[in-house]
Amino acid sequence: MKIAVSGKGGSGKTTIAGTLARALARMGQPVLAVDGDSNPNLAITLGIPKEEAQRIEPVPSSILQEVVDAAGNKALMLALPPEEIAEKYGVKTGDGVTLLVMGRVDHAGAG
Amino acid sequence: MCRTHATVRSLLKELVAGSRRLTVTDMEAGLEHFSRGTTRHADAMLVVVEPYYKSLETAARIDALAKELGVQNVYAVANKVRDSVDEKAVKEFCERREMTLISVVPYDEAIIEADRAGRAPMDNNPASPSVAEVMRLGERLLRV
Repeated sequence: MKIAVSGKGGSGKTTIAGTLARALARMGQPVLAVDGDSNPNLAITLGIPKEEAQRIEPVPSSILQEVVDAAGNKALMLALPPEEIAEKYGVKTGDGVTLLVMGRVDHAGAG
Repeated sequence: MCRTHATVRSLLKELVAGSRRLTVTDMEAGLEHFSRGTTRHADAMLVVVEPYYKSLETAARIDALAKELGVQNVYAVANKVRDSVDEKAVKEFCERREMTLISVVPYDEAIIEADRAGRAPMDNNPASPSVAEVMRLGERLLRV
């Protein structure tokens, strides 16, 4: 199951997302939490101490590689299988939840 | 290395789509980022909403957009609900706007205490009313 948590800023979206990830892990689910909001609060809500949360390295964008198929269509593909990415870049948090951080957008080059 | 919104979103999409685990994604706040790409792999979309007008209106827009983009299960999660007046307001709003309310999470000092302590609500006070309700929300989602 893929669950997405959305909402207005300040609604408690991140607290609900983190606590829900922990709750589902306690029910025996293998859980991957994904921080798509570059918000260190998700890590804290999952049980990572604040100082550590601020030091988490995001998944490098370079893991996404452009491939061109026989017809000349360009597509973006992961350079490693998602499970390997979770192993390599994921942070183990409370109740066995793995956290992946997507990282900030570099506004100098943002499009 | 330059990260654009587009690459970060593509990365997120590929990682979530390819994972064999249950995934919980904390999405960007607001709704500017909503597109078929970012929502295609959501089996369930939770829209966290506070019981006041601006928050409810934003939630209704997110709900409509997610449904338009083909997300199968879109649910409102009322948060920081202080009393029966708050609860009634959220319930009536959701009914009127045809939103499915899956959980009513009470306003809870334990969340503020956990924040102050820099700890997870689940570690700081797992028996608190809000954490208990999120546990029930998890059970409901697993039955969907």
